Amino acid sequence: MNKKSFGNRILTSPYIVWSAIFIIVPLIIMVYYALTDANGVFTLSNIAGIGKYKKAFGLSILYAVIATIITLLLAYPMAYFMTKMKISSQRMIMMIVMLPMWMNFLIRTYSWITILANTGIINTFLKSIGLAPLKLINTPGAVILGMVYDFIPYMILPIYSVMSKIDNSLLEASSDLGSNSFSKLRRVILPLSMPGVISGITMVFVPCVSTFYISQKLGGNKTLLIGDAIEYLFNIGPDFYNVASALSLVLMLLILLSLAIMNRFSDDDEGGVII
Amino acid sequence: MKALQRLYVALILIFLYAPVAVMVMFSFNSAESVWIFEGFSLDWYKSLIFDEAMLTALEHTLIIAVLSALISTVLGTAAAVGINALQNKLAKKAIMTVTNIPMMNADIVTGISLMLLFVFIGKFLGLNESLGFITVLIAHITFNLPYVILSVLPKLKQTDSHLPEAALDLGCTPFKAFFKVVLPSISTGIATGMIMAFTLSLDDFVISYFTCGHYQTLPIVIYNMTKKTVTPDTYALSTIIFVSVFVLLVLYNALQSKTDKRRA
Amino acid sequence: METTKNIVELENISVSFDGEKILDALNLEIKDKEFITLLGPSGCGKTTTLRIIAGFLEQDEGDILFEGEKINGVPAYKRQVNTIFQRYALFPHLNVYENVAFGLRVKKLPEKEVRAKVEEMLALVNLTGFEKRKIDTLSGGQQQRVAIARAIANHPKVLLLDEPLAALDLKLRKDMQKELKRIQTQLGITFIFVTHDQEEALTMSDRVVVMDSGKIQQIGTPQDIYNEPKNAFVADFIGESNIVDGIMKKDFLVEFSGQSFQCLDKGFNQNEAVDVVVRPEDVDIVPFDKGMLTGVVTSVSFLGVHYEIIVDIGGFKWMIQTTDENFVGDKVGLYIEPDAIHIMKKSEYSGLYGDYSSYSEEMDHLSDIVEEE
Repeated sequence: MNKKSFGNRILTSPYIVWSAIFIIVPLIIMVYYALTDANGVFTLSNIAGIGKYKKAFGLSILYAVIATIITLLLAYPMAYFMTKMKISSQRMIMMIVMLPMWMNFLIRTYSWITILANTGIINTFLKSIGLAPLKLINTPGAVILGMVYDFIPYMILPIYSVMSKIDNSLLEASSDLGSNSFSKLRRVILPLSMPGVISGITMVFVPCVSTFYISQKLGGNKTLLIGDAIEYLFNIGPDFYNVASALSLVLMLLILLSLAIMNRFSDDDEGGVII
Repeated sequence: MKALQRLYVALILIFLYAPVAVMVMFSFNSAESVWIFEGFSLDWYKSLIFDEAMLTALEHTLIIAVLSALISTVLGTAAAVGINALQNKLAKKAIMTVTNIPMMNADIVTGISLMLLFVFIGKFLGLNESLGFITVLIAHITFNLPYVILSVLPKLKQTDSHLPEAALDLGCTPFKAFFKVVLPSISTGIATGMIMAFTLSLDDFVISYFTCGHYQTLPIVIYNMTKKTVTPDTYALSTIIFVSVFVLLVLYNALQSKTDKRRA
Repeated sequence: METTKNIVELENISVSFDGEKILDALNLEIKDKEFITLLGPSGCGKTTTLRIIAGFLEQDEGDILFEGEKINGVPAYKRQVNTIFQRYALFPHLNVYENVAFGLRVKKLPEKEVRAKVEEMLALVNLTGFEKRKIDTLSGGQQQRVAIARAIANHPKVLLLDEPLAALDLKLRKDMQKELKRIQTQLGITFIFVTHDQEEALTMSDRVVVMDSGKIQQIGTPQDIYNEPKNAFVADFIGESNIVDGIMKKDFLVEFSGQSFQCLDKGFNQNEAVDVVVRPEDVDIVPFDKGMLTGVVTSVSFLGVHYEIIVDIGGFKWMIQTTDENFVGDKVGLYIEPDAIHIMKKSEYSGLYGDYSSYSEEMDHLSDIVEEE
């Protein structure tokens, strides 16, 4: 028995050492920066100064919530309809949905400028049929569109994979007990697909709330999100590391809090989220 | 009803592919504009081949992706085997929680915290350049590891615990038993983990952005390009990446459905 | 089967998990070329004993000897024993041929020898022609045969079988029992067989080891343990038994249920309290006035070959197997021949078994035992 656990230790210890140094220690350093000033003296002024970024935090949460809801509303029917197709088509559509995820997300986001810009494809089209151009780019709507677009595969996939594993006999049983297709959806499929919905929500909400590229490109520089603020501060230089760390720390706590809330809805405590 | 469903699926797919189509189209534009299509040309592809900075970045990206995928696969597989055999429930839970951190945390926080660590160590060692090849590589291995572990663990759980015992019983040393019996039954999980690690590493921008210093990978170069006005060469590059990923995926799927059929 | 040489000896083996004693100073000698069965309910320690012999588990105390030599701490892969696992543990990534060849390949035998050996083994288990088949395309019985071929290809001196037939259905199980017996006699290998199925143990074994709570309760031939159970546990676990309290009046005379009976047992103290076992098939139903004991029928079930009836005799319920039809409420007499009575010393199990008052509960208890360990 002792020999066995010795073997285990040899296998796991490199990983434990690795994750201690590169996961735990960095977070501790971040906390250290957040709670000290440029001279390394303890201070709460960084945390107190976060009030200045209230608006950025508020906008980030608001946009992320809206984008997550829209993503869910679009993705759920998509996943549901996919499960009703032939297996071979399901496989193909899965692949088609996943493919853009492997494309650089900067480019994916940037392409929307070509579509939405004042002289972009939509407005060129509108002009050619004699309509007035629309203000599309550099609006909150464009930022949310970018978020929805970039992260919708992360919503479709978990919902689809949970839904496609629902035992068909359960659906037959519910029909047998008198459910029509709507009540079947509401009473059987919806509750059983909740784990997928929950992991989809977390997988979309976290990158949305912390993004720093989408808002710069599609929102102009008018909408400053928290991710942008952090990136901006870090780029100015080491003098601003402390404030930026404080912001990162709060962002992380915000994410942890929302994950904890989401976890209350699911009782799956092992495994976490896997694509 | 069926037709409406199909229409819906089609609309979502169009939504997903509209920017891709735009990108592919303008990569063939003869003019230096991503707004107005003037005519077909391959000029941007040609100029790409001679773009030194781009090629260097591509090389960096591939080196980092291959190395980080390999290292995280070895480290992660070993860790998964150890974690799976762990008797202590509490220790197991603690390790899994730490494993989940890089997956659940925002990339920007992971990137920044790693950067702070590297800068701190750099200062300590008195380096004037603390970020570079090693730091991106470490960062990539760190965010790849959880994906490898979480692809291998379920396969290990499915593996009959008597299999390694049977191999020992038939004369294998524990070391040999692992390679002859356990490894083959978790090989699909290892392969999935490695492919995932490779693609995540190829695509990563945020974490690389904070940890790469002057060792620029392709996403960083693209980011710098999109800061200025974008010219179609960026689109040409992305089209090439898109097509290669597409081909890889098709091959992978064809392979997988073949093995599925053989199994059925 | 009378050989004097011991192939495996367990001396004072003790094992605990989490402070719970699984094996308690176990002593067991296994003779060369015999078919020995470890029999007992789940949790009795039989599988643990097997795993200690295989080398998957290390005992806390005691010695294990193989052909007279101590092999404490020798790892599994260096022991000349092979195991057939409960769910076979066939390697799913290898075909039938490669599974059987596995141990030979590990030994680095030349390919020609491997081929010949595998063919021989597959012929022995009637699987010639299945070489290229994938494991998951085989039926349970076929997988079982592959597992046997794989384990004996290495020419072990001892084959350990951990409930190998538990996953098969009844018909197949009967066939495989004969098959295993045939292979064992043909190859002359010692078989150590673990099961909770007493019928299986009785049909196949040269000797049966009945175990409970980490201790050996009795070792003997199937006939011995059926006819001469050592205590109430063995009497109850092997077959059906009515076990009543009795007083040994003197040699060949015992008193129970208020009557004196002739018996064949002797050597007890005068007036010693004992457990008396009477098998249900050894009791004759006679008219009420001719019975040595009398009672009322409280339950009748038809089992095909015979009826199983429960008779209430002064509050104690007896089970009797008879071919005569009786009805609930009948007053009947019981007649017991002297050779139908078996006397046992009192033990920790006295009073726990052998009364059929709670017959249905007892059935539940039995089905619990059938659950896999």
